[in-house]
Amino acid sequence: MRHRNRMLAAGVFLAPALAMIAVFTVIPFVQGILLSFQSWDGVSADTPFVGLDNYRWVMDDTEFWGSMKNAVVFGAVGLVVANAVSMVMALAVHRARRGSAFFRTVYYLPGVFSTVVVGVMFSWFLDPKIGIVNQALKTLGLDGLTHNWLGDPKTAVIAVAAVFVWYHWGFGFILFLAGRQDVPNELYEAASLDGARGWAQFRYVTWPGMSHVTGIVSVLTLLSGLQIFGTVQVLTNGGPAGHTSVPTLNIYQQAFQFNEYGRAAAMSVIFGACLVALACVQLWVSRRLGGGTNSRTEKGR
Amino acid sequence: MRRDHTAEAASPTAATFLSRRGFLGAVGGGLAATTLAACGSGGGSTGSGSEIVFMNQSRGQAAALGQLARKYTQQTGVKIKIDDVGPADFLTKLQSSSQSHNMPDIYSAMDSFSMAPYYKAGWAMDLTERMKGSWGDTFRPATLRTTTFTADNPQHVKPGIYSAHWESPALGIFVNASMFKAAGLDADQPPATMSEFIDQLRKIKKSGKDPFWFAASLSNQLVQSYASNYFTDEELNATFTGKSSWKSEGWRRTFQLLVDLRDAGVISTGSLPSGNSDNPNVEKAFFNNQGVAAIFDGTSAVGVARATAPDFTDFRSFPVPKADDGTQTPRLVGGAAKGAAVNPRSKNADKALKFVQWLTDPDQQTAFAKEVPLIPSARAVPAENIPQQLTGIAAKVSDVQLVANQMNQQVVTALQKGAEAIVLKERSVDQVLGDLDTAQRRA
Repeated sequence: MRHRNRMLAAGVFLAPALAMIAVFTVIPFVQGILLSFQSWDGVSADTPFVGLDNYRWVMDDTEFWGSMKNAVVFGAVGLVVANAVSMVMALAVHRARRGSAFFRTVYYLPGVFSTVVVGVMFSWFLDPKIGIVNQALKTLGLDGLTHNWLGDPKTAVIAVAAVFVWYHWGFGFILFLAGRQDVPNELYEAASLDGARGWAQFRYVTWPGMSHVTGIVSVLTLLSGLQIFGTVQVLTNGGPAGHTSVPTLNIYQQAFQFNEYGRAAAMSVIFGACLVALACVQLWVSRRLGGGTNSRTEKGR
Repeated sequence: MRRDHTAEAASPTAATFLSRRGFLGAVGGGLAATTLAACGSGGGSTGSGSEIVFMNQSRGQAAALGQLARKYTQQTGVKIKIDDVGPADFLTKLQSSSQSHNMPDIYSAMDSFSMAPYYKAGWAMDLTERMKGSWGDTFRPATLRTTTFTADNPQHVKPGIYSAHWESPALGIFVNASMFKAAGLDADQPPATMSEFIDQLRKIKKSGKDPFWFAASLSNQLVQSYASNYFTDEELNATFTGKSSWKSEGWRRTFQLLVDLRDAGVISTGSLPSGNSDNPNVEKAFFNNQGVAAIFDGTSAVGVARATAPDFTDFRSFPVPKADDGTQTPRLVGGAAKGAAVNPRSKNADKALKFVQWLTDPDQQTAFAKEVPLIPSARAVPAENIPQQLTGIAAKVSDVQLVANQMNQQVVTALQKGAEAIVLKERSVDQVLGDLDTAQRRA
């Protein structure tokens, strides 16, 4: 009887959270999938079922599939560059004897801004005429290096990716810093006695010790890169001539510009499935790498 | 399947004493009641019954609209509440209002493509019969024509007029008079042809200034303006509704304009700015920094200039110059911008309609034009109320294209992308025209 009461009380306390999850996650998720089989203009009360028409349409949409390439580029940049920068910053701040609080704040700051603020700010910085980047280059006498950063197809993706890295490094930085602080100092002392220095310490102590953090940060930054939207929309809106177009922007256009919510939902389902598959692969790779190294770490302890 | 949202409010069960179980039940019931009540009651209006709610999209016209609403209240005793949601949130808020059956009595009417779902769903009063009377006579013909849904409209809206507008905008060229003068040119003398204009831009470039710029998001308007050199309004309509192919000689010549501008090297930075704020960036370069000699923009740009660069007034406007080989008299793109639609399901629908009729009356449009630099849709508004910088375009506003249907949004997006690709030398005119046919077919 007492056990039953405890279970009942637990159920009651969990109910609000479960209700929230149901209302804001489960129902929209199911509705989204349902909508992918319907035709809806966003306003009408009628949403007729159209079978697989939306999926057939998406399969033939070369722009959507073309934009996947850019998503992979941004995902790879997020995974490799943003994580590398975040980790280097975290290790540097961990070693800093002075001003670590200042750098912690400064490095984390970009992530505090809204995407739109970041996009507008960098569209000013990178403006070919009055942007601070080109003006600084001119001031330094490097006129030859001034460039139409967002207007030239050769540099547009790189410029957007750079803004993405700047915006997201704070998130990885704070987690890597926490992960680094979690690695016991005794391991470094033992490694030193064994003659390990700089790179060897990083390779055999720091990296394995932070593998659990690296795994989760990698998955999250990979997904952030693949799902990049606000930065692209504000900076280039997919331009010049579609060179920075990404799937999320295509989904947004279908729904909110073309009033084709069914097609947008079908795109979302397909893109979501791709993300889940990639995240699973990434987690599997992380576990494979992390599992081996973790066991070594445990042995080291 | 229907998407009607109706819900009844539930009330918590009364408890004679507050045991733990009773307390939890009451809390649960309260939460359920709150959640269900938030779903809306299925009504058709946000107004309290005594006041009329106007959901306003425009930030620039908000102050003038508020003044006129207060004046109307003083005159009639009918209270008008202006809900200034702004351009960024307007469509989202309107959509959620329609889904919760909580629509305002009046709401801003934007482009026909964005508003069509609301008109189709019965959220706008059909004003066709009312426009046949004296009210309709006050408007410029172009305003009425461009806001009329015809029988062949691709959005499948029931033919009719669903909005009344007080702004009759047009798009054209704006030039910096002092930059033109510095290059030995007279900005008060508009170029007779496009080749003459391109020659002028070449001279500007030689004088060391950036010649010409326009946003990717306005490239479809520039193309449509120039297309009127080769097509009648009916022919344009046939292309926009998919009855005629984009792959025709007229469109080839139209898009050749982009090639000519590109090859003459007169497009500033050698590319079209894109992104969410592409046109604001162009306007900033022209009005605020005075770093470019000429831009393609809408007449609403003068309002932006007055707000952000009030000291810079030395600019002129004129329609897109005519093509050297054109077969038709070129016509401006424009007709109708800011306006309003009346919610017929509102309890205040009649009162709301009277307010909109009053708002679009020439007297009120004159007051509007004094506060906001715009070209009014009322024919009777005196010309002296039109800003001096707009007179070049305003002089030709009677030559606005009277195309029954506009390009659908999918084609607009493809055209903007194609224009960028032509300027970047990535795609030929024929390839872009093929892309437009594909976009039209797949829309």
